[in-house]
Amino acid sequence: MRSPLPGRRSFLAMTGVSAAAFAAGTGVATADATAGGKVPADPFGLGVASGDPWPDGFVLWTRLAPRPLAADGHGGMPPRPYTVRFEVAEDEAFARVVKRGQAIATPELAHSVHAEIRGLRPGREYFYRFRAGDEVSPAGRTRTAPDPRSTPAALRFASASCAAWYHGHFTAYDDMAKQDLDLVFFLGDYIYEYGITTTNWWRQEPLPLGPEHGTETITLEQYRLRYSLFKADAALQSAHAAAPWVFTTDDHEVQNNHADEWSETGIAPADFLRRRAVAYRAFYENLPLRSSVRPDGPDLALYQRFRWGRLAQIDMLDNRQYRDTYPAGVVTDNSPERHDPKRTILGARQEKWLYDGLGRSDATWNILATGVVMAEIDRDTGAGQLYSNDMWDGFPANRDRLWDAFRRHRIANPVVLSGDIHRAVAAELKADWKDPGSPAIGTELVCSSVGSDGDGAESDQYAALWLANPHVKFYNARRGYVTGHLTPTTLTSEFRKVEYVSRPGGPVTTAARFVTEAGKPGLTQEA
Amino acid sequence: MTEQNSAESSRPQSREPERSGPESGAPESSAARQSGTRQNRVARRTALGLAAAAPAAVVLASPAGAAHAATAAGPAPRPVHRLRARSEIGRIRLSWEHDPGKPFVDHYAVYGAKTPGFAIGPDTLIAKTIYASFSHDRMGGRRQDWHYRVVTVDAAGNRSRPTAQISAHSTESVAVSGTPLATVGTFDHKSLEFALAPNRSAQYRTRFPNGVDYTHGTGRPETDWSYIQPGPSDAWGGNKVTRATFRFAVDQVPAEPWLSIWLLDTHASLAGTIVLGLNGTAFTEVKLEGGAMRGSLEGDATVPGTTLKPSYVELALPALTTGENVLTIDKKLGSWHVYDALGIFTR
Repeated sequence: MRSPLPGRRSFLAMTGVSAAAFAAGTGVATADATAGGKVPADPFGLGVASGDPWPDGFVLWTRLAPRPLAADGHGGMPPRPYTVRFEVAEDEAFARVVKRGQAIATPELAHSVHAEIRGLRPGREYFYRFRAGDEVSPAGRTRTAPDPRSTPAALRFASASCAAWYHGHFTAYDDMAKQDLDLVFFLGDYIYEYGITTTNWWRQEPLPLGPEHGTETITLEQYRLRYSLFKADAALQSAHAAAPWVFTTDDHEVQNNHADEWSETGIAPADFLRRRAVAYRAFYENLPLRSSVRPDGPDLALYQRFRWGRLAQIDMLDNRQYRDTYPAGVVTDNSPERHDPKRTILGARQEKWLYDGLGRSDATWNILATGVVMAEIDRDTGAGQLYSNDMWDGFPANRDRLWDAFRRHRIANPVVLSGDIHRAVAAELKADWKDPGSPAIGTELVCSSVGSDGDGAESDQYAALWLANPHVKFYNARRGYVTGHLTPTTLTSEFRKVEYVSRPGGPVTTAARFVTEAGKPGLTQEA
Repeated sequence: MTEQNSAESSRPQSREPERSGPESGAPESSAARQSGTRQNRVARRTALGLAAAAPAAVVLASPAGAAHAATAAGPAPRPVHRLRARSEIGRIRLSWEHDPGKPFVDHYAVYGAKTPGFAIGPDTLIAKTIYASFSHDRMGGRRQDWHYRVVTVDAAGNRSRPTAQISAHSTESVAVSGTPLATVGTFDHKSLEFALAPNRSAQYRTRFPNGVDYTHGTGRPETDWSYIQPGPSDAWGGNKVTRATFRFAVDQVPAEPWLSIWLLDTHASLAGTIVLGLNGTAFTEVKLEGGAMRGSLEGDATVPGTTLKPSYVELALPALTTGENVLTIDKKLGSWHVYDALGIFTR
């Protein structure tokens, strides 16, 4: 099944042509002041966003798309580069503008810009907006990370994943936009690749889409169009405009269940890498990612580390690009191959990077953001054992190596943020999964989905399976997301749930609130 | 994503029958793969770093509004090369070579028509793909003659000039050219006429506990021939070798008996192997072609945009006998396949 190095090699020569476009899009290059000519009306149809906050700056994103759903994926823009100006202010009224600049939105990158702003003050709120021709974008709010030597009083964050827009309204994003957040973690499945047809259209109104949305995304124009479709949503735009985001992927940014270059639908690896290249290209074009994360052919340098002063070290993990395939060819089992000590979900290089980084951490809290669930979940409620090899459970040796690193480096407060399962779950991470008396060495907060699986219910037929694992402390099957309030002494997490998503306006409430004390991993339920 | 537990699954579509069974071929070690990736990445990053340091003027070196016929953003990409076509039953397979990164390719647009010298336009656009091949399929059993040209479209929307035209035809199926002696189902790229179709594989074990046993003339496709035949890798089929039996009678022994099996779809990576037997004697094994995993859930490959991947098994049969003959299809290895139709023909 794996023979594909020639396919990879064919990408080797790719970068030269578009490197200039990448540079222009970041605002680094000195751009022609008035490239492009007259800008079409209402070009900010996909909103604005910020991301990757560091102590002196962040990335500002927009993509010119006066007609977001133009079938060719170019958003209704003429095939020319356009100058996009941006400004950053300390106040919402833009009376104290501290940065101005411009970048070039090129058709090569679907007229996206990723302006990298530096030289700002740490730990501070900023406001930003773009201008193209005479058109001015909505303003966004963002912030810089705190000074790395400081200990900030708090980090207020949210985590979200699995946004199948066609399964339900993005009410969770609307609620997220109303929170006062410093940072949003997106944990994978920002889009889904499936064709959208009457069979998977679960919103109550009639399907409003043409056949160009009805087949699985394979080409760049299809992936671009899929991002446009989801990002045209006002709730998602508000959530982006309210706070900086950081990202990892799971599988649906490319294709269901893929592992590195392996596709479950039998696509030859060399062809699958061609597809991964266009999928990651569209991912970059549509999100506020810094230039070090720009894709390079089929590769995306996605895993990266952030710091929130000495309060938190944040490792954004990539659990798709370097993972091994199913141990014995099946998704769910407890095969001997599953226990192969060489198995890895992160890949050797990322593992080393992670453990080295943990070794250098002087933060009170260490946050690990990963697409799939890390806690062991035995799915056989009887005497046997069964595990999902798509999650960290498919890579117990990798998890053991991580646990070793926690011990070796005395990481007192690991907090894992994950998603993928379309259910809200809170779990304690145990030193020994088979011993209920074993101490918790960390805490995992699994956010539910923003849209995937529709309305859901308070509980469902899988609750028993999950809750049969004694370290699982909470399970809910509604749509929603997680908020966290991190201080030097406590992490307070809330599971926000949406009453329904098949129609707009579902009430959003807190399904459960937990407190984790620094130095005492685990979960205490407050509400 | 894989909560394989159905509703729990992060795959928001309806479910496949359980997939299982050994992967064929030894997986390359992750270390080997990673070192390859790392090596390439370093080389590519280096190239990018150098290029990014080039003067910004390079960015706009191609003047805005440059007047290329189909492009304004940059030079046209090159067309694909070594465009080839292969004839098969029901389809023509095109393949080509092209570097997808130079410039960055959005897709390859495949144009085709039944008349040579056709005009390239929306009416002759057959498919867009990022892969280096395309199977023009679901053509039916009759020979079709086609002519193709491929246009490369890059990330900026620039279009290459079309390739030179390549001509090819599909191979005629014996289901069309032969005389039918006995058939079950219609050769139409649909499974819908069969029992349990299009998605009730879960009922196979209770409806066909001993497999399918179908007698031509008295059997009814909608109740007696299962649309799907599981294999040993399918837990929902009992993880066992399954058999489909097709009984048919002939008045006189035909000179050149042929078997035609049209499949609507198969499992993608575990399509498996069937053993064909006639009158109690196994006479050949056929490795089935990997499909698209969807035939267990949907039954009509004529729907535009379908991902179903039909395939075909046609071969000469050993001599028949006068009176009843018994054809058996044993799914010896792998996972399921889904039928479109099956028939015995004389050429």
